[in-house]
Amino acid sequence: MADKLIEAKNLRKVYGEADARTVAIDDISLDIDKGDFVAIMGPSGSGKSTLLHILALLDKPTEGTYIFDGRSIDKYSEDELAKLRNEKAGFVFQAFNLLPRTTVLENVELPLLYSDIKESDWQERALKAIRIVNLEHRLKHESAQLSGGEKQRVAIARALVNDPEIIFADEPTGNLDTKAGKDLMEIVANLNKEGKTIILVTHEEEIAEYAKRIIRVRDGKLESDTKTK
Amino acid sequence: MNIKHSFKIAYKALKVNKTRSFLTVLGVLIGVTAIMMMVALGSGAENLILDEISGFGGETIVVRPGKQPTGPTDIAGTLFNDSLTERDVELLRRKSNVPHAEKITPFVVVPGNVSYEGDTYTPFMLGGDVNFFVDFYDAPLLEGDTFTESDAKQLSKVAVIGDKVRQELFGESDALGKDIQIKDQKFRIIGVLAKRGQVAVFDIDNLVVIPHTTAQKYILGIDYFHEFIVMARDVDTVDRTIVDIEATLRGAHKIDDPEKDDFFVVSLSGAAEQIQTVIATLTAFLSSVVAIALVVGGVGVMNIMLVSVTERTREIGLRKAVGATEKEIMQQFLLEAILLTFIGGFVGIVLGGILSFLVALGLAQFVASNWSFSFPFSAIVLGMGVTTLVGVVFGLYPAKKAAERSPIDALRYE
Ligand SMILES: Nc1ncnc2c1ncn2[C@@H]1O[C@H](COP(=O)(O)OP(=O)(O)OP(=O)(O)O)[C@@H](O)[C@H]1O
Ligand SMILES: [Mg+2]
Repeated sequence: MADKLIEAKNLRKVYGEADARTVAIDDISLDIDKGDFVAIMGPSGSGKSTLLHILALLDKPTEGTYIFDGRSIDKYSEDELAKLRNEKAGFVFQAFNLLPRTTVLENVELPLLYSDIKESDWQERALKAIRIVNLEHRLKHESAQLSGGEKQRVAIARALVNDPEIIFADEPTGNLDTKAGKDLMEIVANLNKEGKTIILVTHEEEIAEYAKRIIRVRDGKLESDTKTK
Repeated sequence: MNIKHSFKIAYKALKVNKTRSFLTVLGVLIGVTAIMMMVALGSGAENLILDEISGFGGETIVVRPGKQPTGPTDIAGTLFNDSLTERDVELLRRKSNVPHAEKITPFVVVPGNVSYEGDTYTPFMLGGDVNFFVDFYDAPLLEGDTFTESDAKQLSKVAVIGDKVRQELFGESDALGKDIQIKDQKFRIIGVLAKRGQVAVFDIDNLVVIPHTTAQKYILGIDYFHEFIVMARDVDTVDRTIVDIEATLRGAHKIDDPEKDDFFVVSLSGAAEQIQTVIATLTAFLSSVVAIALVVGGVGVMNIMLVSVTERTREIGLRKAVGATEKEIMQQFLLEAILLTFIGGFVGIVLGGILSFLVALGLAQFVASNWSFSFPFSAIVLGMGVTTLVGVVFGLYPAKKAAERSPIDALRYE
């Protein structure tokens, strides 16, 4: 039995109040082991992103218990959560979210600024991450000078730079064409082979095929949870 | 994260957003410049006015004959009124009558001009004790001597002249010992006053002073005075001295109804008080202009800071998502705000200084020759202090609010 990295019990997330009240996720429980590769699927508005944000420590559930790395998130202080986000997790957004007018190298170095890693090691680490996503030839390019696929690879390098345990990705291929999406997924699958836990949200079946396990949600509820490999 | 990294991040952030940084700096700069200029020009104006009136002895009391003039036509009346006499002077000089008077100097005004070897000039000519100007108005002699009591007794035909009169009549050549013509009489110049300019109501440089007795007898043909100038011992005794003078003169002139006074007393302490009021008003006015400049500068800085931070809520979200703590976010924005306001403040001080110097130069050239450039330290402290404070407060407050959001909330902000 593999190590559990994530244990979520009865998670609920409610937005707004009264008329505007939306239950984005409703009573979801799931465990994720280290080294797993999970695809979260479901129709638009079903709560995939909301769930992923909670799992990635970017947001908090309204109800339920979420145990990350053996400890309930209620027990972590804000600063400890920041440290977890910095060291244990990497996040890839659908909208890339790179810093504007900033070079590839500096974008990838961003998480290191908030880490304990010595500044003299920053560049080497960043270069290593950039090599993984095959962008060595774009180091000095600013974000506006990159294609969508390149931007998303920069985002992955940024998520990787601190050598995290787990990488979260919310529709990382959503803004890419099929070819660029496939290239990106090859990189992600490789990362998983090297031991990184991956959780990604997608609504494309071809993308989900890369995963070892597919979790389907509908109307905020867990619909199915199947191992594919 | 150490402070060096914070600086690096802040510097990078400023560099990346050149336009916004420039606008922020501009906002601070305009605020500080406005404050600097207001304070510098305000204190320049205040100095000028203070300087103008500093010669005004608050102890000075003037007694004139006739009724207090209510318009310019009345002034001629005082020249032909004979109510102030030598006997009045003697009575006023008695300690038992006016105990707090330091000195009583009678004057007559001598209309007309003076000439020397065909050059004619119209100065302000007085018959009276020239020592009055030397002692009370701080007008030292450049050369020669003043005349004395005995000159007055002997009706000596001597004169002491001001610097401008000397220039007009003698140019660069020696004036001392020369004889000048007043009416058809020759007067020997025994003293020349040093250049002094305007002091209170007198243009010292334009004066010609001769003994009052000589003026009365040989030039005017009168035996009364146009004016007594009384110096009270100090400002506090002015009011009592006025009462004493009035009582003494009424006794001497046998007047029992003050309505029928044939003299009037003007105290400069009243005028000094008025001027004090004017200055207080001016200061209040300038302070409010400075306050407005502060508010305008402050609102500018506030506005740009609010926009700049709000605009970057997503950036804050991203930084939090990759592991920045609230404290680190705050540190970055604090440093950014300080850097911006410091640069803006520094340039503003320099610019404000240069501009107010130029304006002071212009004013000195075209408006008031004795306008001096003044750059008070308080302006620097005030200008820098307020804009930096505003910049920091309004940079930090939205940054704190953004930093407190969950990373995803901040990222979703639009
Ligand atoms: N900040 C928010 N405030 C209010 N409601 C929200 C908020 N975020 C999400 N929701 C609502 O929660 C529900 C789930 O949203 P979520 O973004 O998780 O969907 P999703 O499955 O990721 O959809 P998509 O595939 O379109 O990205 C939606 O009905 C959405 O309107
Ligand atoms: Mg989504």
